[in-house]
Amino acid sequence: MPKEGNSREPADPMELWEKWYETASRGWSNTPDGSKETYMDPFIIYRTWMKSVGKAQELMQEQLTAGSFGSMDPREAWKRWFETITDILEKSSARGADPFGLTAKWLEMMKEARARILADANIPADPFTLMKQWYDATSESWAKVIGDIIGTEKFMESASQFLESYASLYKTFRRANEEFFSNLQLPTRSDIARVAELVIKVEDKVDSIEDTLEDFEDNYARAIPANLEERLEQVERKLDALPDTFQNLATVAGLEKRLDKVESKLDKLLVAVEKIQATEPPKSSRSTRPNNSKAQAARRKSSKVQALPAEAE
Amino acid sequence: MSQNKTTQSDNLSALKRYRTGMQIMLEGAKADTGQTLKEVIWTKNKAKLYHYEPKVEKRFSVPILIIYGLINRPYVLDLMPGNSFVEYLVEHGFDVFMLDWGTPGDEDKKLSFEDYVLDYIPRAVKKALRATRAEEISLLGYCMGGTMAAMYAALFPDQSLRNLVLLTAPIDFTPADMGMFRLITSPKYFDPDHIVEAFGNVPGDLIDTGNRMLKPVTNFVGTYVTMWDRIMQGKSMDTWLAMNKWVNDGVPFVGEAFRQWIRDFYQQNKLVKGEIVLRGRRVDLSNMRCHILSVAGSKDHICSLPQAQAIERFVSGKEIEFHVIDAGHVGLMTGSDAKKDVWPTIFHWLELRSK
Repeated sequence: MPKEGNSREPADPMELWEKWYETASRGWSNTPDGSKETYMDPFIIYRTWMKSVGKAQELMQEQLTAGSFGSMDPREAWKRWFETITDILEKSSARGADPFGLTAKWLEMMKEARARILADANIPADPFTLMKQWYDATSESWAKVIGDIIGTEKFMESASQFLESYASLYKTFRRANEEFFSNLQLPTRSDIARVAELVIKVEDKVDSIEDTLEDFEDNYARAIPANLEERLEQVERKLDALPDTFQNLATVAGLEKRLDKVESKLDKLLVAVEKIQATEPPKSSRSTRPNNSKAQAARRKSSKVQALPAEAE
Repeated sequence: MSQNKTTQSDNLSALKRYRTGMQIMLEGAKADTGQTLKEVIWTKNKAKLYHYEPKVEKRFSVPILIIYGLINRPYVLDLMPGNSFVEYLVEHGFDVFMLDWGTPGDEDKKLSFEDYVLDYIPRAVKKALRATRAEEISLLGYCMGGTMAAMYAALFPDQSLRNLVLLTAPIDFTPADMGMFRLITSPKYFDPDHIVEAFGNVPGDLIDTGNRMLKPVTNFVGTYVTMWDRIMQGKSMDTWLAMNKWVNDGVPFVGEAFRQWIRDFYQQNKLVKGEIVLRGRRVDLSNMRCHILSVAGSKDHICSLPQAQAIERFVSGKEIEFHVIDAGHVGLMTGSDAKKDVWPTIFHWLELRSK
C-alpha cells in the first residue's frame, strides 16, 4: 500500500501521474508474459491523484476569484510535462512492450513536438489555442507515423482478422435474434423486409404501366400523320357542301314533278289532237296510193333482205 | 473591480463557446442543407428524382441530370445557400434534376448495378426529358455516380445523351494507382462476400470509418481542432456544420452492389477490361458517343488522377476534356476554390453544348 494513500497532504500531481502510468503500463505489458512480478494496485494512486487534483482545482478557483491565474509558468509546466511523458515512453520502449513500434515512433514524435512548442517564447495559457498550436506542430508527424503503420501488411492482417471476427459475431448474433423473436411469434426484420419486397414489386409493376402509358401517349402523338389536318379539312369542306347538294336534290325533285305535270298535260293534248283528227273527213285515195305502193315496195325489199342471210347459210 | 468584470465577462463568453462546442460534440452537427427549392417528379422504391425550380428564364434546352454515388448523400452538391453547385446551375439558366438514391433498407440488399444502370437511370432520364420536352440530356456523375453514368453512356449511346460530365469518377482500378485502397480492398485481406452475408447492406458507419482511416489524423482529430478553433475565434460555423453533418450522414451500401463494387471493380478491375456484364450486356466504354468532360482533384486520396484520367483511353477520336483541380475529393465541389474554378469550368463547358 502506498504511503501516499494515507498522507493528508496533497502530493505533486505530476509525480503521482507518472507513478500511476508506470505501474499501469508495467501491469499490462507483464500480463501476456504471465509474469508473477508483483505490482501495486494502480487505482489507489489514481484515487489519491484525483484528491490532489481536486485540491489543486480549489486553489485555482481561489486564485481565479482573487484575480491572478497563479504562479505556474505555462512554459515550465509544459516542459515538465514533456519530460515526464518522454521519460515514461523511454522506459516502456526499453521494456520491449512495443508490438508495432508505436512507442518508439511516439517518442520521436514527442521530442519533435517538444522542440517545436518550446521554441515559441509565447505559450498561450488558453487551452484551446494551445491545442491548435499543438495540433499544427504535431499533426504532420502523427499522420506520417499512423500512415506508416496502417499501410503495412501486418496492420492490414490484424484489421482483416478483426473485421472477419466482428462480421462472424454479428452474423451469429443476428441469426440468434431472428430465431428468438420468431419463436416468440413476433415479426422480425426479415419478415418486414419480405413484405417490403412485395410492395416494391407491386410498385415496379405500377411504374411499368405508367411507363407504357407514357410511351403510348408520346408515340401516338408522333404517329398521327402530318397531313391529317389537311385531310380533315377536306372532309369538313365536303360535309359543308352536303347541305347544298341536298338542296339541289330537292330542286331536281321539284323539277321532276313539274315535268311530270307537263307530260301529263302534253299527253292530254295529244289525246285531244287524236280525237280531233279522228273527227275530220278522210282525204282522196290517190294521195294515199303512192304511199301504199311505196309501202308495199318497202315490204318486198325487206323480205328479200331477210331471205339472203338464209341462202348464205 | 472593472478588471474583475472584464475577466468575468470574458469567462462567461468562453464558457458559452465551450458549451457550443460540447453541444456539437455530443449531439452532432445540425444544419439546414439541400435548401434549393425542388419538387419530386418521380419515385422508384427509395429513389427520388428531384426537379429544381428555375429561378431565372431557362437559357439552355438540354437539361442536366445529376447522378450521385451509392454512399453518402447527394446534398453535398446543394450544401447551403451560397455554397451550392445546384443553385449555381439553376441561377445560370439550366434545368437541373437530381437522382437521390435514398436510404436502402434490408429489402434492397439484392439491388445491383444492373438495377441502377439498366432500370433506375434510364427511367430517370426519360422522366427528365419528358418533364422538359427536351430531346437530349446531360448527365453529371460524381464519384461512383460518374462510374455508373459512364456505364449508362456506354450501354445506351444513342439514347438522347449529349454530354457527360464526370467528377472524380474512378474508371481504372489498377492497384498501383489506388493508394491505400490497394491494401484495404486487397482480396488477401478483404472478402466482400463475408461482409455482405453478415450485414446484408453494409452499414454506413463501416464505410465511413474505412474512408476516414485513409487520413485518420485529419478526419478524427483535425476536424474537431478546426471546430474548436473557429468557435473560440468567433468565426462562422455554418459551412463546418453543414459539411460535418454530411460527413456523418452516410447511408448503407446495398449488399449486392457493394459486392460488385469491391470484387468486380476494385479487386478485378473489370470495367477497363470490358468484362463488366449487366444482364447479358457487356459494358464497352468505347461505345460512348457523347461529349465528355472529366474533372479530378490532384489531392484526391479516394479517386486518384490516373483512376479518373483513364476515361481518355476509351474515347480517342471523340470530344473529351480532362481538367485537374488542386483540391481533394469533396473539396473539389464544396471548397472555396470550387466556386471560383470548378463550377465555372463545368458551366462554360456545358454552356457551349447545351443549346
